[in-house]
Amino acid sequence: MSAAERGERDGERRRDGDHPAEDEPRPATYYHLARAVLYREYLIFVRYPANAIGGIVVSLFFFAALFFGGRLLAGQALTDSIEGIVVGYFLWTLSVGAYSSVSNDIGSEVQWGTLERHITTPFGFAPVALLKGVAKVVRTFLTSAVILAVMLLVTGTRLSLAPVTVVAVAGLAITSVLGLGFAAGGVTVLYKRIGNWLNLLQFGFVALISAPVFDLPWTRVLPLAHGSAMLQRAMVDGVRLWEFPLADLALLVAVAVGYLFGGYLVFHYATRRARRLGVLGDY
Amino acid sequence: MARSAASERGGPRERDASERDNSEHDASEHDASERDGSRRADPAESPPAALEIDGVSKRFGDGDESVLAVDDVTLTVDRGSVVGLLGPNGAGKTTLIKCALGIVLPDAGSVRVFGTDVGDGRRAAYADVDAMLEGARNDYWRLTVRENLRYFATISGVDPDSVASRHDRLLDRLDLADKADTPVRDLSRGMKQKVSLASVLAGGAELVFLDEPTLGLDVESARTLRAELRRLAAEEGLTIVVSSHDMTTIEAVCDRVVMMANGRIVADDTVEALLGGADRDVVRVASPDLDDAVVAGLRERFEVVGFDPDARPPAVEVVAGGDRLYDLTDALREAGVTPAAVRTLQPDLEDVFLDRTGTAPGGESR
Repeated sequence: MSAAERGERDGERRRDGDHPAEDEPRPATYYHLARAVLYREYLIFVRYPANAIGGIVVSLFFFAALFFGGRLLAGQALTDSIEGIVVGYFLWTLSVGAYSSVSNDIGSEVQWGTLERHITTPFGFAPVALLKGVAKVVRTFLTSAVILAVMLLVTGTRLSLAPVTVVAVAGLAITSVLGLGFAAGGVTVLYKRIGNWLNLLQFGFVALISAPVFDLPWTRVLPLAHGSAMLQRAMVDGVRLWEFPLADLALLVAVAVGYLFGGYLVFHYATRRARRLGVLGDY
Repeated sequence: MARSAASERGGPRERDASERDNSEHDASEHDASERDGSRRADPAESPPAALEIDGVSKRFGDGDESVLAVDDVTLTVDRGSVVGLLGPNGAGKTTLIKCALGIVLPDAGSVRVFGTDVGDGRRAAYADVDAMLEGARNDYWRLTVRENLRYFATISGVDPDSVASRHDRLLDRLDLADKADTPVRDLSRGMKQKVSLASVLAGGAELVFLDEPTLGLDVESARTLRAELRRLAAEEGLTIVVSSHDMTTIEAVCDRVVMMANGRIVADDTVEALLGGADRDVVRVASPDLDDAVVAGLRERFEVVGFDPDARPPAVEVVAGGDRLYDLTDALREAGVTPAAVRTLQPDLEDVFLDRTGTAPGGESR
């Protein structure tokens, strides 16, 4: 059909009033996709705040147990290292938030059949998953900021809170964990029962956050380890982002991108295998 | 941008006329080659079919325990047609749909959607395709009805603002307008199912797969949904593939039926042709005058398919379609039989399915 014929027919429709002119579908761009995914995350965050509040309360409860219990047992030794503990705990809550929200979210999407629907769309699931990751990180920053504020008040600790530095370093540090979340989500797609066990991995983040990066430099390439060391320097010693050696920043970015990309590859491979085995969405 | 691929093929508006043309062909032009699924649209003469499945096979598992879920299936679905996939649980309907959607990767064969090979450029191929899959929520229960429509329109590649009035029409049509701003989780099961359907149609998908759309619905909800499906198919010119083991749904909604058993297609024709070919133009006559001797006399002249001497009154079932009915009444008069009740037994798809497979569509295939 020629453009003229199409135009003529569309004109007829408009005159008929069957299909008004404003109803002409326009293609969605990545901007529209980002808006849709982020808006959905925002709606669920504000509409169902119980999850976020519950997470904050549980995190603070554990911290209170750690802080007051530790002070009883270790006394001054704990008070001397409290800054490091607060920063480490802050990073741990960020990591757990990013990891579990991504891996659980993928599990839920599979169960609801919505992951399958994303696969059969022009965009695919990849950009949606990455945008969700961004939303989870933002959300986790908000809840962890509340936890940090309460920790600082309770312990009377003072830390350097330069927003750009803290957000950049902590954000890049937990990007690697986001990658682990994608990988765990992918494994859950293939092996449904393993998913719950993978949640235990978040306790391993404590070891990564406190990895001895000065004594064992190779541990810097593990997720979180290098970023944790940099966040300690930024928040405890007041080092600003631009004051870090370029090599440190480069490694931080490389680890973040590497694990995110690796995690996404695992997810991609796992969903492809699930499609081959016919178990995608097969709960 | 994937949507541009859809536009190159001719977007939703451009395809309307050709779809209607094709849908008219679809119901009337089922020759033998069409029935065995070997139809091929000639791209030089007409736009490609909505769906072309060619020699698709899928086996799950390995060794002795493996199951051949889909066995060398070839099927073409013309634009604007409503095709029903009928078969018992385990017949391969869902696997075939998932293969067509790329959710399950076939071991062999190819799938073309609106002429685009799924294997070549999957995302472009699925620009105008969506599906409502069995047993899944398919949408987000924590979002409202309208939010779901906007979200799924976007991921289908359509700016939701540009189809807002279409969404209003869709909500009106599905009787969901009052619930537009209610979270889906607060709706009844029947309404949730309708939201699922609305979200599938929200992005202007032209090829829609509905896998057991009435499963788990009460009688009234199922009836409403069937009526809506019929109306949407007619008014929007959609191509719909409905899978179900429920013949009422298939019979009410579809103009062509593909019957599956053990992963293979066992029949593929219009509903009318299948029912016409069921060879079940049976008349049931009940009368106290019927006995073995009378029935033996009838057997000499007619095909008697059943006799129940213990019924009150006894009843005989005779194949007597068209003019043969006059012969039957004459024969009954001659035998001194006064009918107490006469009833034609309408064949339904279940009879056809039984004839072809020996299995009821509601049963288990394997």
